[in-house]
Amino acid sequence: MFHLSQMDQIFLKSLADVVRTSRTTSQYDKLTFTTQTIADIKNEISSRQESVRYQALLKLFFLAMEGNNIRWAEFQIINLMGSADFQLKLGAQLAAHLVIDNQSQGLIMVTNVFQKEFKNGHIECSTTLSCLGTIANKDLSDSLLTHVLKLTTNTKPLIRKKAIAVLSKIFTINPLNIPGNLEMVIQQLQKETNISVLACGISLFCSVMKVAPKLYPLFLSIVYDQISKQKSNWLLIKLVRISNKLIALEPRFQGKLIEHYSRLLNQTNSKSLQYELIYSIMKYFKNHSQLYESAGDILKQFLNHQDPNLRCLGLECLTHISTSAGLMEFQEQILESFKKSDYFSKLQILQLFKDFTNQQNFQTVIEFFLKYSDLESNHKIIESLIHIITKDKFINVDDPEKLLLMYIPIIAQKIDTIDNAMRFKEMLFELLTRVPGLKVYSDQLCNQILQTYATQSDTLQGPTLNIVQRHTQLKYSLNHREIIFKSLIMIVGESVKLLKLEALINIIKFLEQLNILNCYESSLSDIDSLLFKIYIQIIKIDSQNEIIPQIEQLIKNIYNKLHNISIVKISFFYESLINNKQKDQLDQLFTLYEEDLPPINLEAQKLIKPPESLNITQSFQIDIEEIEKIKNSNNEQIEQKPIVQQIVQVEQNQNDQEDQNIQIQKQDENEEELKVLNNKVDSIPKKVFTINRDEELPPGVNQNDINQSKEDE
Amino acid sequence: MINFILMVNKQGQTRLAQYFQFLSVKERMTLEGELIRKCLSRNETQCSFLEHRGYKIIYRRYASLYFIIGMDLEEENEMAYLEFIHNLVETLDKYFENVCELDIMFNIEKAHYILEEMVMNGQIVETNKTQILAPIHVLDKAKDE
Repeated sequence: MFHLSQMDQIFLKSLADVVRTSRTTSQYDKLTFTTQTIADIKNEISSRQESVRYQALLKLFFLAMEGNNIRWAEFQIINLMGSADFQLKLGAQLAAHLVIDNQSQGLIMVTNVFQKEFKNGHIECSTTLSCLGTIANKDLSDSLLTHVLKLTTNTKPLIRKKAIAVLSKIFTINPLNIPGNLEMVIQQLQKETNISVLACGISLFCSVMKVAPKLYPLFLSIVYDQISKQKSNWLLIKLVRISNKLIALEPRFQGKLIEHYSRLLNQTNSKSLQYELIYSIMKYFKNHSQLYESAGDILKQFLNHQDPNLRCLGLECLTHISTSAGLMEFQEQILESFKKSDYFSKLQILQLFKDFTNQQNFQTVIEFFLKYSDLESNHKIIESLIHIITKDKFINVDDPEKLLLMYIPIIAQKIDTIDNAMRFKEMLFELLTRVPGLKVYSDQLCNQILQTYATQSDTLQGPTLNIVQRHTQLKYSLNHREIIFKSLIMIVGESVKLLKLEALINIIKFLEQLNILNCYESSLSDIDSLLFKIYIQIIKIDSQNEIIPQIEQLIKNIYNKLHNISIVKISFFYESLINNKQKDQLDQLFTLYEEDLPPINLEAQKLIKPPESLNITQSFQIDIEEIEKIKNSNNEQIEQKPIVQQIVQVEQNQNDQEDQNIQIQKQDENEEELKVLNNKVDSIPKKVFTINRDEELPPGVNQNDINQSKEDE
Repeated sequence: MINFILMVNKQGQTRLAQYFQFLSVKERMTLEGELIRKCLSRNETQCSFLEHRGYKIIYRRYASLYFIIGMDLEEENEMAYLEFIHNLVETLDKYFENVCELDIMFNIEKAHYILEEMVMNGQIVETNKTQILAPIHVLDKAKDE
């Protein structure tokens, strides 16, 4: 007990005083208060009176918790560790981890202090061991290893347990200390009966396995002995955990554990032990059907439990099943738990289905998540669904038509973020590219999605993606709806040739009455392009000119609306062509849009001939004389530059003209060759859809055709 | 392995912090502030497990105090650590008799001592309340004498 003098009692601020003052001090005065307190502590901690130093130590603790740096007190605290008074020593040892790290210079001084303390009573020894476990570095652990090893044979279980706990740190820091010493510890543990000491021993084995896994045979038998006879849940959890690591290294160990795991699974009521067992069985015991089934039953209980923690653990356990067949068994329970789960658990479930959805449960999964999406998790659900659909080049999709016409419009309605809108756009393009026949449905898809947009009052809501158009430097913002709108407009534009006359007319009528034109100002140029493509196609189909006047009137109405909408006066590129049509212009554009753009000749890209003037045999070494010659000749040329420039320009023009003529000839030749390759687009769409998963070839091109063209050449 | 154990109140003030890996003061304050904000934003229907900055976080609220444990991501069995938190609270309650935040503030060295008896080097070494409190009772007796 400390005896404070009367003067000390008056002036000394205790921990309680500091705490009270801190709680009543305002935020603005906090810094002043902290600075003053630290100044007081600096004085008090070097005092000769131990009572004063003790109070200073307690106040240091408090300041450290408040977020103040107390590393300046390192030397004083190490000094206090060697104090004769135990309470002071204890306080210093508890505060050590706040000021000392692996790099601290003061650790050198600590060695002797600790060596002295190990010889004292068991309470002092145990607190010293705790402190060593917190602050040990390589040098300290090497110098104190023999002392700690001696303490593992101490009569007190408190000392033995802490010595073994410190050993696990020493072995982790310096694995060279393991050989020889580990065997000694194992021999002692084989005779040990105290549960706490055994638990520390198992933790020691776990640490050893991290740094030297090949030493596992040394403690395999002891682990098995303890599993067969232990009843403490804490120890059993550690034993099951280390058994997992041992099974991974020694698969034969698995067979020995079946009986014990079955017994523990049936007997225990501890949820944490049950979870540990289920995790182990799900991962390593799939071949043992009886055990696996019992674990599966308990797992189902976890998934349906009211406690969100157990549901979360059940889901985490399922991530280790790693087969979709395994997941299917628990699908119902997982989907039920999804309805009750919080955001974090929902993310877990979505991750599970992202990894393990297959063709069999694809429709069930999509329909369920579209039905049960809520505001909080909607964007994650949509992201996951798009991932599931596009996974491995649409491997899960067995009915693309249903996907396109039934699920995709619903997904489009639910999209509320730009990232998902971009993913949706990419998914749509890829799907329509890989399945050629689906483009016929593009007008239906467009109508379905845009119809819902029209019924809701759309303004630019939510975050926007800022874009600067390169060629015009126009800046505009897109929200998620506009991204989808643009992509749909583009898809319809690309599929115009496949659509019937009625469908084309419907699209124009749809755009003519649509209110969303008010909201999608950034897409007006895309609408302009679409209108023109539709117009060209209708001219092609309606050779008798029956519907064209009606269509032209509708298009003019749309352009009038578009002009009224745009705040800044913009000119639509194709508007003048439609309004002031001349036969020549239309014929030229007609032929331009007649055929698809030919794919690049893949074979040509393999051979890139070097320029003819380049002499690859000539050395690149620098010749100074030659450089000077070139310089002199350049100077002469600069004087004659204007005349020479004129001559050069004339020659250049002549050369350009010749090149152009050659290029046109080459183009004609290529077009004839590639027409053969291009006649692969089906005019009549087939009902049986096949997905082209060959990424290297563009659509419409087969490997056989390329081989044929090779043979022809 | 446990990386840290924290007791933080609703105002974000740390009442006890035990780190088993060294972090600077700034890193600690940032981590503690972020963790308490995350814990406060969760409601009772949500589970007590989350991930933050490469740690697996298990937390539980007792009155105004949040008990937070940060572990390695590889560690499993969050349930065991949740039960450990409850064990810790029961041990503190047994010693301080109806423990509250102020008991920890005014007896910070004792709270640290109890925690050190339970956890060493990031591993749980003792869960028996009698065994944990035995040394501290010895100290209290010696102090009274």
